[in-house]
Parts: sequence; structure tokens; C-alpha cells
Amino acid sequence: MAAPMDVSRQICSLARIFAGISTLGTRGLNCGGHRRCIPRYRPHLPLAPTASFHSGIASLSTPSSITVTEEPDTLFQKVSVFVKGHDRAVLDSYEFFATLAAKEFGISLSKVFEPPKDVERFTLLKSVHIFKKHRVQYEMRTHFRCIELSHLTGSTAQVYLEYIQRNLPEGVAMEVSKTAMEKIPEHILEPMWKDQPTDKNSSQSEQS
Amino acid sequence: MATHTCKVLLSLGRMKSPAFTPHSPLGRVTYATALSTNRPNSNKGFTDGGNRGGPRKKRISWVRESGEPRTEKMAVDQDWTAVYPAWAPFRHGSVPLPVRMGKPMRGGVPPEKKGNLELIKIPNFLHLTPAAIKKHCDALKPFCTEWPSALESDAVCDELFPIKLKSSDYVHAGTSLRNPSARIVHLKVKLSSLNLDDHARKKMIKLLGDRYCKQTDTINITTDSCPLKQQNNDYAMYLLTVLYHESWKTEAWEAEKTVADMEEYCWEDSPSQKNILDTFVGMKVVEEGDAEAVREVVLGRPEVQEYRDSVTRLKNEGESESTMLQYREAVRKLFNL
Repeated sequence: MAAPMDVSRQICSLARIFAGISTLGTRGLNCGGHRRCIPRYRPHLPLAPTASFHSGIASLSTPSSITVTEEPDTLFQKVSVFVKGHDRAVLDSYEFFATLAAKEFGISLSKVFEPPKDVERFTLLKSVHIFKKHRVQYEMRTHFRCIELSHLTGSTAQVYLEYIQRNLPEGVAMEVSKTAMEKIPEHILEPMWKDQPTDKNSSQSEQS
Repeated sequence: MATHTCKVLLSLGRMKSPAFTPHSPLGRVTYATALSTNRPNSNKGFTDGGNRGGPRKKRISWVRESGEPRTEKMAVDQDWTAVYPAWAPFRHGSVPLPVRMGKPMRGGVPPEKKGNLELIKIPNFLHLTPAAIKKHCDALKPFCTEWPSALESDAVCDELFPIKLKSSDYVHAGTSLRNPSARIVHLKVKLSSLNLDDHARKKMIKLLGDRYCKQTDTINITTDSCPLKQQNNDYAMYLLTVLYHESWKTEAWEAEKTVADMEEYCWEDSPSQKNILDTFVGMKVVEEGDAEAVREVVLGRPEVQEYRDSVTRLKNEGESESTMLQYREAVRKLFNL
């Protein structure tokens, strides 16, 4: 089970490594057929330097290692990702991306649905001065999409949500509501008055 | 040369593989650019628009002619994740798709992708093709942990982990990234999962007031008084702890509980019981004697027991077909009707 702090750092460094791997060459026709000719942690040497979109890549540091801590992972019974935007097609594409990512991570999807859109309309006067009969109407459409995931551990949720949020397109907002499950803590299992009958009587006599 | 009449693609998602276009015998990507467009290509350098026959200004020497776009050199089975490894704006020379976008003028088609601002404005998903997503997920998979296999259904989860803490996080762009609603925490517990005796249960329900839902037997505590989510979390657990321990205590003033405060109807010492006793004594069904003995005899009779059950049920559950019928039968048996 990975610690939350380390995970975010490691994801950042992995993302950097990954970007570094991909931009350092097109790989040409040699590896065109394979998808996974790069082993996971070793950086790939460039075949031919081409114009890279991101010049000045961060150094190809040593691959990050996964730390395992003893503290128990939180368990999320339900994680609900609710996105809203003005463009329905963008949300369609984002839903495809999020559902595919969830399947790749092995997360179970309980519901993916589209709540009805919200349209805010208002009518204004067309002219600066007078001409009350001539108006102009504007509307703002907000489309929604909801992806409900169930039975996630804290580490998985963190990884998945960070991945999803880093690739959130411009003009789209997201709300994530997580339902964590916990055991009844020890101090609520038994009433504390059981071991102290004398205290209880004394407190009663004080109040009476 | 293959000709395409393409519809407007608003956002370039759902690309399956680099093989978008049909194979041509040359093995190179070919697509139509010769369809008529509405905006004529502007020349590099200045042209005097109104004065075509007249003298032209000299071409600027340092402005080069743009070379062949990269799409001409792309193989059909290339690795697209290398072309768009991270988000980048739409480049018409890097995307080998015959995309057209914009409003078609009368008798025309939507404008082509070269120099098309509409394609640059919209968010693109060119860096998130299924191949790229799979690569990313494979790289991130080691950081995930598996869900315990023993907790398969919701029922098992509710039994072992009865406390549910719900909170929200918000991601949006704006003048501020913070959202004050992110600090709110909702706590949900089933009352039956707590270790309470009868008195403690009733006291707990009275203490909770509106926060207890009788139909689902759940306690809902919402905390938003602290500025941070962790603080609200701790406060909610603190409230639960205090409620639990306080409900086990019996205060001195609880002895003053009247019949009006009772949650359930209790037949003992109720007007109904007194009525029954008086009726039976009045009807002289039972001999007069010791008050205690009379009372015991009357109450011991099965019809009276049945009457007691029916009245309790009627008062607690409300009026319905079954309760009224039961009451009717009990009364009949009492008076031998």
C-alpha cells in the first residue's frame, strides 16, 4: 500500500519520465508494430532526433520506487466523478477517456449517465437607448456527465483521480464526491460509564 | 487520389489507431485538398488587392515558403503517442486527418484545416488515444492497490464498516482554485450498528432530533463549522462519540419523563387498562375482593391479553385494516358478542 505523499511525487516523476521517453524520437518504422517495446522503467534512447514539442525535458532521473507503508489504506465504497462543461462533445470524449482509464486500472464502474442539461436564458435590450420592443436573447448551456465508481482503495482512487484531473480539458469543471467507509472506533464500542459506576452515582448526586 | 466529403468533426476524440485513411498504392497518406473553399489562400508577402494588374510590392526576402507538411511523411502505422505525447494545440501539419470545421458559406463546404482557428480553439484529445491511455495506465498500475476480495457486496461492507464519511473535492479554473464547499463532511451510521440498550437508544434518538431518519434507521451528521475538511471529519467523530456516551448516562431529571414524552404507547398504567378493570368490576364478572387479586385475575385473562395487544398495536402502528380488525375481534371476545 503506497503512502499518499510519495504517490503524488512518484506519479509526477513517472509522468515526466514518460513524457521524456516519448518525445525523444518517433521510433520510426522499426517499432511501429509493437506497442510496448519499452520496458517500464528504462528510458529509451532516441533513434533520430526530431523536433520535440517540449524542449528542455526534465532529466531522465532514476525510476521512482514504490514505498509501502504500514498505515491502512482508506476504503471508498463509492467515488462519484461529476463533470460539467459547455460543450457536449468534449464531455463525450472525456467520458470515453475516463471509462477506458477505469477499465485499465481494473476499477468497477457502477453507473455512467448524463443528467439533463441546464440552460440559463436571459433577455436584454438590444439597443443602448430606448427601443424597448427590440431585444436580444442569450443562453448558456451547461452539460453534465456523471461517472460512478465503486469499491476503490485509497491508493487507487488517488492515482486514478490525479490522472483524470491532470487530463481535464479546458472549460470543464469537476466535482468528486467520495464515500469512505470506516469501522466503529474503539471508543464507541463500549460506554465509558461501565467501568465507573461510582462516578456515575456521584455525578447524579451532584446534579440532584 | 481518394476523395472525402467529411462532416465537421468538433472534437477529435475516439481515434482508434493511426490508420485513419484508406491505403493508397503508394503507402502514403493522400487526401483531398482540391475542394473549393471560400477563402482564397493568401500569398506570402504583400499583394495589392485592388490593383491586380498594377505594380506589386516586392516579396519579403526572409519569409520562407513553408515546406511539405509532416503529414506527407507520416507512415500509416506510425506510433501516434510519439506525435502527441502530451497536450498540444492542434497543428494542421501534424494531424493527417482531412478535417474541416466552420460554417459553410452558401454553395461551399466548411473551411479546411490549414489556418483554421476553430480547430485550435476547441479542446482536443489527440494526446489521449486509447493506445496512449493504455500506456499511461500501465505505467501507473504499480501504484494502485487491490480491493479486498472479502468485501464483495455492499451488505458485507455495511456490516463490517458501518460508518460512512462523504466529502467532496472540486476542480475548476477561476480567479481562485479553492471551493468553500470542499470542507463539508457528511457522516452516516446505522443506529442498529451501535452498542446501545433500550434507554440509550431512546435517549440518542431524542438527542439527534432531525438528524435521525426513522425509515432507514440512519444517523446523518453534517459538519461544516470548521474551515478544513480534516477538522470537520474529527468534529463529526467527536459528536458521535459524545452522543453515544451521553445516551448511556441516566441523569436525575430523566425521572421526570411523563407519558407525553414516551415514544411508544405502553398499556400498563394507561387509561385503557383502568377502563378494563373498572368495566370488569362493574359488570360483576369478577368477584369483588382484594384490589390486587382482582387486578391480577382480570389481567390474566386471555381476552384481556388480546385486547391489550390490539390496543398497543393500534396506538403504535396507526390505523389500518389489520389493526382495526384485530381490535374488533378482541372487543368481541371481551364482551362475548
